[in-house]
Amino acid sequence: MLYIKCPHCGMRSQNEFSYGGDASVKRPELNKEISDQEWDNFVYNRKSLRGKHWELWQHLSGCRQWIKVQRDTATHEIFNTLKAEEEIN
Amino acid sequence: MSLISALENVHQKGQFGDYEDKDENSLLKVSELKNLLIVQVVQYKNSNNLIDKLIIDNLKISNNPLNVSNNENTRILWYGPRNWLIVSKNKKIIKEIEQNFSDKDFAVTDLSHSRAIIELEGDEAKEVLKKGCPFNFNNLNKNNCLNSIFNGISITVDMTNDKPEKLRIFALRSFGESLYHSITDACLEFGYIGK
Repeated sequence: MLYIKCPHCGMRSQNEFSYGGDASVKRPELNKEISDQEWDNFVYNRKSLRGKHWELWQHLSGCRQWIKVQRDTATHEIFNTLKAEEEIN
Repeated sequence: MSLISALENVHQKGQFGDYEDKDENSLLKVSELKNLLIVQVVQYKNSNNLIDKLIIDNLKISNNPLNVSNNENTRILWYGPRNWLIVSKNKKIIKEIEQNFSDKDFAVTDLSHSRAIIELEGDEAKEVLKKGCPFNFNNLNKNNCLNSIFNGISITVDMTNDKPEKLRIFALRSFGESLYHSITDACLEFGYIGK
C-alpha cells in the first residue's frame, strides 16, 4: 500500500487521496496577452516525465485539502509533501 | 422537524455472530446514536478572527489536528484546517453557535439530519475498524478523531473512550445502512450485541 504524508493529517493511505495533475503548471497572469499556444500549454499539454515529479493530490476522504506531492513516477516513492499554498523550491 | 432514525430499518437488537460461551461484558456492543446536534463550522480563508478566543459550551475550539475538545455533552472535532464538527446532546447550544460564529467569518451548517452514527463499544472495537479502514489505529487514542474510509465509504471516527474502547462512526445518512452492514459483518467474528 502506498502512503502519503498529508501536511495536515499525517501519514495516510493513498486510498484516501485523489490525484489532481501536474503541480508545476502555472496559470498565465490575469489580463496578460497570451498566445493560443500558451493557452494550449496551460490547459492541455503535459509532459510524461519519468522520475521525480511534483503533483497535486486532494485528501478527499480526510481533511479535503489539496496538497503538493513529490513522487517518482517510475518507482512511486514519495519524497516530499507540501501544503497547496507553499511554493516548490 | 421530526426525527427519523437513519438506521431504523436495519438496526437489530440481540446477540449475533460468535457470541456463544462468551461473557456478555466481553462482547462488542453496536448501537445507533441519534437525536444529536451536529453542526459543521468552517472559517473563511480571508477571516482573521482568532479561533482560540471562541468558546462553545465552555469549550475552547482546538486547532490541533485530529484532536477533540470535549465535555459531558459536547464534542468539537477537528475536521480539517479551519474546519470543525460540533456534536452535542444539548440542542440549545445552536443559539450560542450562531451568536459566536459571525456570518462574515464562518460558514455554519446544521448537519443533524444528514448523518448516520454508529457507536461501537468493546475491547475489539479498533480491530473491527482495522478490517476496512487503512488508518493505523494503534495511533488513535481517547479524544482523537479522524476522517477516513471504511470499505469505500467516507467516515469520521471519534474515539470517546479507551477503557473499554468506545468509538463513534459518522457517515453520510444515505450510506448509513451500507456502513451498518459492513460494520456488523466485521463484528461477527468477535460476536456482538445490538443495543
